[in-house]
Amino acid sequence: MPLLKLFIVLSIQVLIVNQIHLFGYITPLFIGYVVISSRKGFFHILLLLLGFFTGLLFDMFSNTAGMAAASMTLIAMAQPSLLRLFAPRDSDDNYRPTIMTLGIFRYWIYSLLCMAVLHVMFYTLDAFSLNDWPLTLLSIIGSSLFASVLCVIAELIVRKRRR
Amino acid sequence: MWGGVFDFLFKYKHWLVFILLEAVSLIGLFSTNGYQKSVYFTTANSIVGYAYSTISSITSYLNLVSVNRDLEAENEKLRIENVTLKTRLKLANVDTLAMGVQSEDYNVVVAQVINFTLHKRANLMTINKGSADGIKPEMGVVCSQGVVGVVYLTSEHYAIVMPLLNVNCRISCCLNKSEYFGTLEWERGDSRSTYATGFPRHTKIQEGELIETNGYSDIFPPGIPIGKVSSIGDSEDGMSYRLKVSLFTNFEKLRDVSVITNYIHTERRELEQSVENKEEI
Repeated sequence: MPLLKLFIVLSIQVLIVNQIHLFGYITPLFIGYVVISSRKGFFHILLLLLGFFTGLLFDMFSNTAGMAAASMTLIAMAQPSLLRLFAPRDSDDNYRPTIMTLGIFRYWIYSLLCMAVLHVMFYTLDAFSLNDWPLTLLSIIGSSLFASVLCVIAELIVRKRRR
Repeated sequence: MWGGVFDFLFKYKHWLVFILLEAVSLIGLFSTNGYQKSVYFTTANSIVGYAYSTISSITSYLNLVSVNRDLEAENEKLRIENVTLKTRLKLANVDTLAMGVQSEDYNVVVAQVINFTLHKRANLMTINKGSADGIKPEMGVVCSQGVVGVVYLTSEHYAIVMPLLNVNCRISCCLNKSEYFGTLEWERGDSRSTYATGFPRHTKIQEGELIETNGYSDIFPPGIPIGKVSSIGDSEDGMSYRLKVSLFTNFEKLRDVSVITNYIHTERRELEQSVENKEEI
């Protein structure tokens, strides 16, 4: 199931989202959704590997050589801690972060935080070549916002299909 | 002691994996000649390459509109150049000294039809280029198939064209193989054909013969195709032929047109105007 999700999300990223360059500097990394939507008790090492390989595949498609792999590993490291902030204390290991379980606003905040981690890493690594921090900052903020909205939209679509 | 180390490692195993994976990623990113070593991890590998070529074969369809437009412009330029060269060649055969005289090059502005009526008496057509693009009234409008009409009015970014399908539109034309010329007149109703009048009775005309612009007016250069003779009839007074011409231009599907911008000769126009004024006196 995570592999199917990976395939679908990666296809959307490569085919559609990678073509978006809003204002010339906002290109969201929707691939973060693969990690963000993982359930609470997902084996952490597997999650790290899932994040790493998703990032690596993205790198292959965008010639970013390790940038996304590093960022996706980081978000996979941070996801369980971030999810703990939002999930109810008594929730079990099968608890999934969705707009059904969290509510649309809390889900958006959760995905925004996760996406912020991802984009800070990604665009900071990118900035080693860019060296223009106001633009980097704008890219991080804009892309995180955009990507988190994409997560909410994805959730809305998934929810409709579940029904 | 070792037990303690193993316990520690086991407890923080995800940190170890995390550090390992980050290290792999960053080495990939910062290694000096990473590209040569890891061609498999770039778009140069065959699977990703194949995926991208499939994607581009799909997305290229989306670009076809603009590609088509460019080709249209290119086509138009080449066609007009062809006509110019043909004219020059004709002149060269007659008198080589005249070659330099007729060195006219035409510029075209490519525009798109944004509004058009077909079924009225005086049909007009709006295009999306105007005086800002150098378009002025009485410039000729053509498309890749043939003549479209004449610019009637211009605003800054738009122009109204009087197409051949307008009863007020009169364009002089000639038969491809003869020197005789006539005038194109449209009758309301049929958007695929028009009438050419004024051809003298002694002209030898066959059905299917090509009708083109004759260059007597300063709107169109000579030799731009208009249509072909579909039937031969007589004029009302019986003094000349009235030919039904089926138009090459498909007005129903017309979208991309070109305006010939630098063919108007102000000097010629002024001279002709002054003669007309004198006649009035």
